[in-house]
Amino acid sequence: MEEFLKHSLFGLSGLLGVVCAVLVVTRKNPIYSALFLIVLLGTIAIDFFLLQAEFLGFMQLLVYAGAIMVLFLFVIMLINPRGDSLPDEGGATDRWVAFGVALLIFSLLFTAIAKSPRLKEFDSFPGMAAVPETVMGTPARTADHGSLTAFGYEMFTTHLFVFELTSILVLSAIVGAVHLSLRPRRRKREETEAALDSSHGREEHAHV
Amino acid sequence: MFSLTSCLYISAFLFSTGVYGVLGRRNILVVLMSLELMLNAVNLALVAFGRAYAAQDLAAAHTGQIFALMVIAVAAAEAAVGLSIVLLVWRRWQSIDVRDLCRMHG
Repeated sequence: MEEFLKHSLFGLSGLLGVVCAVLVVTRKNPIYSALFLIVLLGTIAIDFFLLQAEFLGFMQLLVYAGAIMVLFLFVIMLINPRGDSLPDEGGATDRWVAFGVALLIFSLLFTAIAKSPRLKEFDSFPGMAAVPETVMGTPARTADHGSLTAFGYEMFTTHLFVFELTSILVLSAIVGAVHLSLRPRRRKREETEAALDSSHGREEHAHV
Repeated sequence: MFSLTSCLYISAFLFSTGVYGVLGRRNILVVLMSLELMLNAVNLALVAFGRAYAAQDLAAAHTGQIFALMVIAVAAAEAAVGLSIVLLVWRRWQSIDVRDLCRMHG
């Protein structure tokens, strides 16, 4: 019964994800694309839960659906593109070229997956390796491999350097985003100062 | 049904749909969303591979998941910077057409 539930949930979420992916790239209005993308991210979070990556599933929902997509929706609402301001999607040739490239990539990946002999060994997700009783002399509290404890332990020991690199990346993104959003305001202030200067100059001329 | 190969097929389909969106659309916002779609497809493949190899080595599952988390961080950074550039372009030219970006000659 549990197995059946798992299979049917995976099938449903996969089907929904595929349909939503097609809708994301074909809708003309970006707000529909964003809404379908949120559903798609939810289905991928379901896949993560089924793959016993619970922490990552929650991160997917929090960071992607909660933060990144809200940012997208904010920008779409701020710009509010509709009617004339939506760019005209190019002619049929552009679309067919893009479709051809996408089809080529998909068929390459498909044959690579279908022909791979190694994948068959692990196909049905065999049971996990045993959790080690002790890690570096201390008793391990790693109950199952998707849990936060095991995940955090692995991240802050084996992959610590990558974690630090990510912090630098995020910091530079913050600096870049702040810089990009501050620049027009500074320019506007200079313009108002210049306008004030010129009006002062005119008044002085009038007095003279 | 629920197997490594089916996960990879879904991932491959999502990735190529994202490629179509990046190449075929002219709306910057949709192009950025298609990029997110491609990153998510890769994440799914990474976690599925990690789970499959966990039978031999438990650290493999963690490595796949940590890699996916790093991809999420990269996606967040990319969305933040990309969307602020989109806002700048909109303020300057009132356009979200990728062809208008040709006007930025360095």
